[in-house]
Amino acid sequence: MARTVVRVTVPIILVTALALLLQGHNQPGGGFIGGVLTTTAFVLVYVVFGLEFLQSDLLDVRNESGESHHAVELYRVLFTVGLTIAFASGLAPMLAGLPFLTQGILFLEHLPLYEELEVASALAFDLGVYLAVVGGLLTVIGEVGSE
Amino acid sequence: MLEIVLAIVFLPFAGAALTPLVFRVAGERTAYYAAGVAAVCLGLVGQLYATGAHGLASIEWVPSLGISLAFYVDGLSLLISMLASGVGVLILAYSGGYMHGEPGQAKYYATLLAFMGSMLGVALAADLFALFTFWELTSLSSFLLIGHYTSEGSSQYAARKSMLITVAGGLFMLAGFLLFAWAGGTTLIVGEGSLTANADATVETLRTAGLFVPSLLLLGIGAATKSAQVPFHVWLPNAMEAPTPVSAFLHSATMVKAGVYLVGRFRPFFLEAVPEGTHLPEWSLVFVTLGLLTMTVTAILAVQATDIKELLAYSTASHLGLIVAGFGVANAYGAETGAFHILNHASFKAALFLVAGIVAHEAGTRDISKLRGLRHDLPVTALVAGLASLSMAGVPPFNGFYSKELLFEATYELAHEVGGLTWLFPVVAVFGSVFTFLYSLKFLSLFLGDRNDDLGHVHRPPLAMLVPPAVLGLLVTVISVDPQLAVDALVGEVYGSTVPGEAHAFSVGLPTHLTPPVAMSAITIGIGALLWPQYDRIHDGIRALLHGPVRANWWYDGGVKGLTAGSKSVASRVQTGLLRTYATWALGATAALVVGGYLVAGVGFPPLELAEGMTVPMVLVLLVALVGAAAVGVAPSHIAGVLTLSIVGFMVAIFFILADAPDLALTQLVVETLVLVLFLLVLDRLPVYYGTPRVSVAVRDAALSLIVGATVFLTVVFSTAGSPDTIGGSLSRLAGVPGEHATFFMDYGGGYNVVNVVLVDFRAVDTLGEVTVVAMAALSVLTLVRMRERGEAQ
Repeated sequence: MARTVVRVTVPIILVTALALLLQGHNQPGGGFIGGVLTTTAFVLVYVVFGLEFLQSDLLDVRNESGESHHAVELYRVLFTVGLTIAFASGLAPMLAGLPFLTQGILFLEHLPLYEELEVASALAFDLGVYLAVVGGLLTVIGEVGSE
Repeated sequence: MLEIVLAIVFLPFAGAALTPLVFRVAGERTAYYAAGVAAVCLGLVGQLYATGAHGLASIEWVPSLGISLAFYVDGLSLLISMLASGVGVLILAYSGGYMHGEPGQAKYYATLLAFMGSMLGVALAADLFALFTFWELTSLSSFLLIGHYTSEGSSQYAARKSMLITVAGGLFMLAGFLLFAWAGGTTLIVGEGSLTANADATVETLRTAGLFVPSLLLLGIGAATKSAQVPFHVWLPNAMEAPTPVSAFLHSATMVKAGVYLVGRFRPFFLEAVPEGTHLPEWSLVFVTLGLLTMTVTAILAVQATDIKELLAYSTASHLGLIVAGFGVANAYGAETGAFHILNHASFKAALFLVAGIVAHEAGTRDISKLRGLRHDLPVTALVAGLASLSMAGVPPFNGFYSKELLFEATYELAHEVGGLTWLFPVVAVFGSVFTFLYSLKFLSLFLGDRNDDLGHVHRPPLAMLVPPAVLGLLVTVISVDPQLAVDALVGEVYGSTVPGEAHAFSVGLPTHLTPPVAMSAITIGIGALLWPQYDRIHDGIRALLHGPVRANWWYDGGVKGLTAGSKSVASRVQTGLLRTYATWALGATAALVVGGYLVAGVGFPPLELAEGMTVPMVLVLLVALVGAAAVGVAPSHIAGVLTLSIVGFMVAIFFILADAPDLALTQLVVETLVLVLFLLVLDRLPVYYGTPRVSVAVRDAALSLIVGATVFLTVVFSTAGSPDTIGGSLSRLAGVPGEHATFFMDYGGGYNVVNVVLVDFRAVDTLGEVTVVAMAALSVLTLVRMRERGEAQ
């Protein structure tokens, strides 16, 4: 029963989390909430299916001998990359002589299907936040949970 | 000018960073690379001097706090930078010979360069906080240098001691700096619009608040710890554990000179506001007393020394006392004493230390009783030693004589004008100088008399070790022959930087007729010569007296021991290894600090009123949350506890929705869900039943939770009532909410969602910081757990 529910809900949660991340600039949402929600999905899988399943089947992290490997290494990469993106998105405007972490916005018009698309540079920063939160929380949970 | 100053200060650091690479290529010749870096600095300082550069140069550092990376070029800063870089060149070149075959050379040269850079920073900084930063950097780098032989117990002790005393003193000085910055409304020390320029107003503010004397004392403690003034002189003799070139550098041109520099730098500030006719302002009382006391006590201690470096170490403290006393006297002679003796002391003391290094290196011992007649083996060294030690003794016509004469004149004038107990000042100055004369003669006697045959063969030093002291000896000779040249070239400028208002020209030279200071010099030399045959008896007598509480070291060791024992007993109470003990102490301490802060600040309790827009549904939701919170306390099982706790969380989320804060509600819901799921994860691992706690424990916990709850409540009330303008208020003012709010946020942040635009644009640095905290937390969990697996946690 629990497994069925998780199977159905986890994809929905992940899609919702992505939606929250992307729409954050104009509607409720953003990198932090998206990140926490994504973590929740992972934790649900962990609670119901166990750490082994999460690591070997879902994330497919194995070492050379084929045993499932500690996924923490992956999480660590995740939050490092996240921090780097967030920081780099702050440095980028400095190349153009603007202050650290200045954000800009660009509207792409007359696109097929979308007609108009808004590209905010803040999305890069938000993505960094998202990755850092997911990586960080999963590291803590994975490391403490495996005790 | 700014570029040159920046180059002078940061070049040594850049050089230090490159040292490991250079060492890999050049090996022991790294010494000449380092000396080259120092020579470039010296050249740049020389360029500043030659072009007559003077004044302020600054770049912005923390503009929001009004702190800038400001530098000031004048006589005083030029002299100290010249000494630091000039003596630096000699010391680094000399190290090439001295450190031959020693371990850790890359570290040694890198630290020495960083040390020189820090000292140049201290000399040139014109901003309180820049000065403090470089000041503590000198403490840090000297810690590394003094503890160069890392495995020796005595090195560790010495390094710790100097660090403890000088860094602690620096913190006192920082407290003083904060008072100055508060009273003067600026962090600039000298130059336009600085503390010194507005000394009258700043001193008046300090006096009105009753903080004038405390700020003076805080500054004094900073200077006294750094310049090894009594009773903080204890670290200096131990600092001899460092390799001799480091000792020479530390004692003649850097580190200890920083304290003296500080006194000289702040002298105009404190004396500017002294009314005409006041001969003994607080400034003089503090620094003349401190300086003369140090001069005398450490001169006596130098006489009892058995090791040549120990003798020189005490003598350094003694001569720094002389400089401090000079700067302390409020008349013109006082400033002249300080300005001139900085130069003279650096010239003869650096030479003497390098001589001591040669003696120790070539004769293989530093024991005074074993060394005599060295002139046969080391003729050039003996010549340099003769010049320098006669100068140290204050014998005419050597350069130390002129500045000591000025001190006699300054104290005599002061006593003559004020009378009464101040007659003690010239008397003590003469008394202390007698001992200075004695130990200087003792150092000279290493080279006189018959050779001690137990010594064996004494090698000639290599050229790299001989040239630097010879250069310094030449400097001593030049100043001795024509002191007026040094005064006109530089010392006059230094004098000008240390007096308030306009400086007059001053002249020095051999006395032509009998004046009180000449008589004082004659008395000093006369008594010294009479006592000289009794030197050994005096030496033994002082040693016999120095036991237990008479020694400052006894207090230091006792204090450190007491602190160690105290912290051990506290640690065993606070850190029991039980999570609940940690929580109790951490929460209790936080609550005590916060509530204490409110009490001290005298925050009044603001009138409470129901916020605008509070509706019946909101009140109902909050009431349900309250019920939920009460239910947590009485929940019979963990499951019930977790579920009731979630009631609180979800009710708060609903409250956010009702209060039109969808972002907050979303976050709250998501976090609440995550927490609930996590609880499910650990629930079956927890014991079902803890057992009934003792009544006393239950009462303590209940009291603690009440206190913590009350603290949080108070904090929320104060922080929401205390802000002059709420965030919402200022946003509406800026953006004209609700009318045009969308445009404002589109223009400035490129988004419609206020919360997110604030998070990723207006306050993005905060967000970046918060994310970094998440990453740090993850890293620390990772490290802690891994460490436990490796068994390192014990």
